[in-house]
Amino acid sequence: MADLKSQIIAQLNLQEVKPEDIGNDQPLFKEGLGLDSIDALELIVLLQQHYNIRIANPEQGPEIFHSVRSMAEYITAHQKQQG
Amino acid sequence: MNIYIQGTGCVSPQDTTVVEPFLAGIREYEGDRLKAVEPDYRQWIDLKLIRRMGRVVKMGIAAAKLSLQEAGIDMPDAIVTGTAYGCLEDTGIFLSRMVAQQEEMLTPTAFIQSTHNTVGGQIALLLGCHAYNNTFVHRAFSFESALLDSMMLLQEQAARQVLVGGVDEITDHSHRILSRFGLYKQAPVRNTALLQSHTGGTIGGEGAAYFMLGTERNVRTVARITGLATIYKPADEQEMDAAVEAFLAAHHCSSGDIDLLISGRNGHAGENRHFTRLEQKLFQGCAVAGFKHLCGEYPTASAFATWLGARILHGQQLPQGLLFSGAAPRQLDRILIYNCYQGTHHSLILLDRT
Repeated sequence: MADLKSQIIAQLNLQEVKPEDIGNDQPLFKEGLGLDSIDALELIVLLQQHYNIRIANPEQGPEIFHSVRSMAEYITAHQKQQG
Repeated sequence: MNIYIQGTGCVSPQDTTVVEPFLAGIREYEGDRLKAVEPDYRQWIDLKLIRRMGRVVKMGIAAAKLSLQEAGIDMPDAIVTGTAYGCLEDTGIFLSRMVAQQEEMLTPTAFIQSTHNTVGGQIALLLGCHAYNNTFVHRAFSFESALLDSMMLLQEQAARQVLVGGVDEITDHSHRILSRFGLYKQAPVRNTALLQSHTGGTIGGEGAAYFMLGTERNVRTVARITGLATIYKPADEQEMDAAVEAFLAAHHCSSGDIDLLISGRNGHAGENRHFTRLEQKLFQGCAVAGFKHLCGEYPTASAFATWLGARILHGQQLPQGLLFSGAAPRQLDRILIYNCYQGTHHSLILLDRT
């Protein structure tokens, strides 16, 4: 999850945020890390670029991008399906 | 109707974000490019917003905020911006990714931030200003066009307070491309020696300067903008001379009434003649100051010159290292800015002390 946090920080240019500042279960949007809809698009691109994952159903977005843990679980599940 | 500058803000390769002391010392550089001295933007912009902004947007916001602060105004009636290059950094990022990623998986941020009107748009978003917002992209007349629009808004009473500025940035990409056109010096030159240079090319520059304009003079008033004119590709020297004389006559003055000529000479041997002729023929005996050794050459450098002229009039002080020829009188009441970009775009801006 540390790698994923570093990727999120780089993709979103989260200045002055370190990987250890982001809790595994901390909400990424609104009251948590404070991300917004543009960031959501950036995270979709991050999954494509780093993990070759395309989100087929946009309605899954809030569930997948809820926290770093939910993103990591989605990536792991997807990789198992492919593997 | 009089048009006053109520506040100014400037981000440039010099220490211009601090009004006092006014240009206490000139920052010296060696090379063919001057980079803006960037302030800590967190004093004006939330950290969450900064992360998406390119340098030019941040420079523009800082200059705009400084001018609003000085004028004591929270909400302008209009925001008008002049920029020739727009948001080059994000344009470069977006286009580079298009090529590298074969037009796939492109992220939105760089695209959103790459348009020319991003600077004016972001200023409006930060202020919550829903009023008239326009950006002029007219190459080396971008700032002059923005200024003209602002003056017309005020004269037609469509607005009482207009925030107007000129902003441009230089990036590694753009500098490389412009260098190929022979715009810059081949050998390194010190900026403090630029105006005495006799070789081809100049030094690239960048910056943002914003002004809060209004029609009522008050205790905060910095200077008065009396006149503005642009002359595009004059046929010959006579046409240029006639345009300058007509401009002065239209504003009820002659060259003898100008206390200081701020000249846009940039050390390019091929372009010096425009300035030398004007300085020696029409403004003989007039004190001449330079500014492009401070900010470098860029299409909206006249905005920096306007900032400089306004500050000189307000402080009644000509900082050291600016005078190119002549001797400035003790009292400075009227300043004429003459700029010329690549021999084609000539502009005149007349400022008065209030």
